[in-house]
Amino acid sequence: MGTDILSFIIFLPAFVAFILMISTTKVEDVRNIAFITTIIILVLVLKIYLNYESNSDMQFVTNVPWILNYGINYYIGVDGFSLTILMMIAILIPTSYLLLWDGRTKGYWINMLLVQTGVTGALLSLDVILFYFFWEVMLLPVFLMIGNFGSGNKIFTTIKVTVYTMFGSLMMFVAIIYLGVAYFEEFGVWSFQYSDLTQITTFSYQEKFWLFLAFLTAFAIKIPLFPFHTWIMETYKNAPTGAVFLLSSIMAKLGIYAVVRFMIPLFPDIYIQFSSWFVFIGLFGLIYFGIAALMQDDIKRMFAYSSASHLSFIAAGIFSLNEYGIGGALYLVIAHAIATGALFLLIGVLYDQTGLKTIKDLGGIAKQAPIFTLIFAIMLFANVGLPGTNGFVAELLIIFGVYEFNHIMGYISAVTVLVAASFMLWMFQRAILQKKEGPALKMRDLKVKEIIGLAPWVILVFLMGVYPEPFMDKFEPSITHYLTDILHIGATK
Amino acid sequence: MMEIMNILPVLTVLIGALVLMFLSMYDRFSIKNHIIVSTLFLLLALGFSIYPAGESFTLLPYSEYLYDLLIFDTYANFFNMALITGTLLVILIGEHYAQERSFIKGEFYSILMFSLFGMMLLANANELITAYIALEIASFAVYILVGFNTDNEKRIEAIFKYLVLGAFIGAFYLLGVVLIFGATSTTHLGELATFIASHENSELTLVYIGITLILFTFIFKIAAFPFQSWVLDVYRGAPILVTAFMASVFKVAIFSFFLRAFLQTFPSMQDFWDPILTILILFTLTLGTWLALTQKIVKRMLAASSIVHTGYLLLAFIAVGENIQSAYSILFYLISYLLTAIGAFGLVSHIIAQTRVRVTYDDFKGLAQERPFLAAMMTIFLFSLAGIPSTIGFIAKLYVFTEAISAGYIYLAIYAILATCVSIYYYFKLIAMMYFYPKNKQFEEEAFDDSRISTYAIALVAILIVWGGIGSAVLFFIPIPSIDGIFDLVKVSVESLFLK
Repeated sequence: MGTDILSFIIFLPAFVAFILMISTTKVEDVRNIAFITTIIILVLVLKIYLNYESNSDMQFVTNVPWILNYGINYYIGVDGFSLTILMMIAILIPTSYLLLWDGRTKGYWINMLLVQTGVTGALLSLDVILFYFFWEVMLLPVFLMIGNFGSGNKIFTTIKVTVYTMFGSLMMFVAIIYLGVAYFEEFGVWSFQYSDLTQITTFSYQEKFWLFLAFLTAFAIKIPLFPFHTWIMETYKNAPTGAVFLLSSIMAKLGIYAVVRFMIPLFPDIYIQFSSWFVFIGLFGLIYFGIAALMQDDIKRMFAYSSASHLSFIAAGIFSLNEYGIGGALYLVIAHAIATGALFLLIGVLYDQTGLKTIKDLGGIAKQAPIFTLIFAIMLFANVGLPGTNGFVAELLIIFGVYEFNHIMGYISAVTVLVAASFMLWMFQRAILQKKEGPALKMRDLKVKEIIGLAPWVILVFLMGVYPEPFMDKFEPSITHYLTDILHIGATK
Repeated sequence: MMEIMNILPVLTVLIGALVLMFLSMYDRFSIKNHIIVSTLFLLLALGFSIYPAGESFTLLPYSEYLYDLLIFDTYANFFNMALITGTLLVILIGEHYAQERSFIKGEFYSILMFSLFGMMLLANANELITAYIALEIASFAVYILVGFNTDNEKRIEAIFKYLVLGAFIGAFYLLGVVLIFGATSTTHLGELATFIASHENSELTLVYIGITLILFTFIFKIAAFPFQSWVLDVYRGAPILVTAFMASVFKVAIFSFFLRAFLQTFPSMQDFWDPILTILILFTLTLGTWLALTQKIVKRMLAASSIVHTGYLLLAFIAVGENIQSAYSILFYLISYLLTAIGAFGLVSHIIAQTRVRVTYDDFKGLAQERPFLAAMMTIFLFSLAGIPSTIGFIAKLYVFTEAISAGYIYLAIYAILATCVSIYYYFKLIAMMYFYPKNKQFEEEAFDDSRISTYAIALVAILIVWGGIGSAVLFFIPIPSIDGIFDLVKVSVESLFLK
């Protein structure tokens, strides 16, 4: 295996999924084997994480030809950015299994495995066609999950989310091919490796601008940025818990990651030029989605908006052109993935137990399920960025970054973070703490298994909140590399 | 290589057709036996045509008898292989349907083989009149096949529409040939090429008009705008096996000759039809998408979506003038579409073989619970049609769009991508029907016999599709042609057109 450990991590889940698909029909077996697979991956990723040297180079690289005629390679590798997100995915997925443990079908678990292959593949690929490949493939299991296990108007939701995201991907597809053709015309050989594509010098400003927009469409839909957000409300409301978890805490983060990985190196000047627009759109999204979240009565919809609000904030950090902003954004990616993931899963538990998902019907949960309430509260605080949690560190860094970018925007962002805090805490008070009129709801507390599943997340929330250095160290060199070598604007630290 | 080796595939198919015709006179000779005999002949022909595969050659055998009317090169050989494979797959997948339907008699296979014979001649034609005769042999056989379904009252409309329109458009072709002959006093492709190269544009007015008329025939036969209106009615009235045959194999055959003519003989006239083709592509994509969106019957949806695929092929066709590589992408796309269309139509034929109702979207509800294997196969075909990664359809789209953009047709490519985006809607709708709805009550009692040749052939096609998309990269150690191998074959084939 040796250097090919990354391929192993990518394809193991899919391989296991295919074996399971044809071999067994017992749901328990499927689930247990799937769970063991994710644990194996976690161990391997941990090994990589510890062996990783803190510098800005690509490591554990595999680069072999895939389609010779067009120079498309199977080119994967990991650097500080992708490693941090890889670690996050590897931790989040197995623990989410523990919360989804009972009452699922075989197809559910197989799809969960396939998604893992899709997301890790997209995360690690450095060839844009390969990236596109995984980027599309990771959507299909989610499509099947929403359609099969969703609620409400699930078919419409499924088709809507598929066509919506495919539209973005196909725009990106054209842009990718355009880049490849331009490279071929300049250098006489085909290549789709992103490091090669950055060498292209023949583009006019106009071309770059449109290519930038095409890439952005794909990522903005996935993240989602205002105004490409209209698919998420329906989807998060109707999709099954697992799919919502995957969409919100993993796939949306991949959108952010892809912006950093591909758009910054490919179009640095456009990126710098339009950064103030995107910081503005990010902050606007933060406020807009925050206010929209305040209005919601459906608890899943509320979290959909709050998630979008935070992701807009992350986008603002990414576009703020300095180390605080980008570092903070990356940190918030992790923090938000943990917090939102946990919250969606807990709401899944809540919904399974009570059958209710509107805030006004709920209430009095704290008395029935104290441990549930405690963990819910911790994740909520991490989400709103209370001091001591990882969310605080991340949001503070982004606010610094935005402040440095533009003082007024910095003030605005600092104030509007409060909006997020307000809707979250208000919801918490109404749905969980407040005494409910009439008969008490039936609600069991968390099982030991679920508590074990959530424990690492709780530990991470506090560990990353109090002692962020070791986590930061892994991706710090990459950020410096991006800012100084690619954007040529110098790190601010 | 002996000269006889070159014409053996065509001869085998012709002999097969004649043998089947005699056999069909015996009532006791069952459909099953007809299938076996035709399969044997096709396998034999396939073996003969695989024999020289991959070599680069161009020959005019038996010049004293054939007067160079037929050319045998790697290009024609490639198409012969594709056509034989396609017909073979249609017969094998349709085995179930053919045995369940009383209207399919022994002649069906004889006529199918005659049609294949015509198509193979078309791929080998080196002269305009020969091409016309070959085209008419193939077309007439297909006219008969379209009308085979005596259970369906729509067949009269289908056969009449197709026959009259086909004959009408054939007249256009002949007029075009006459004009070209009048101007150049030759109909031989090679001599035409020399004539065009050695004359000024102002002397070629008649040739231009003639070529435009020939282009009409091409566009009619591949069902592009403005001659697409026959497709839905003809495809609906025809037995579904014939629909599969027309949508896949026939389309490949049409491309084989016209691509040869336009690459070899008329490349300098690119500028002339560039604007015409641009408009045609835009309308073909738009109309095809619109038609596919509005269909409720799956067979008609697939038929309409084949118009959209024609649009993609034309997109690569228009780019041929700018760079020859896009001819490679056309051939690759044809292979991909051949497999996928046969798979999709064939699977529908397999499903409707025992019942007569499973034709609309609604009838597909709950298929995944009843027959999970078939639903999974259909999903693979639909993914490939929609160009989702990990299927051969994705690779084919990648090639076509790369070459189109490389040739500078960026706006057309974006438009085609938008059509793809909409196509995801109507393809995924069918997947949603199969997987996300509970099964229809009325079908619960039926027992299905799924361990038969049809099913295995469908599985084979699905494996080929996935193999082309990703398998060859993952299982690289298995020594059969990968996508790169196919692409190299395609390359050698197209290059053999320019061998002197």
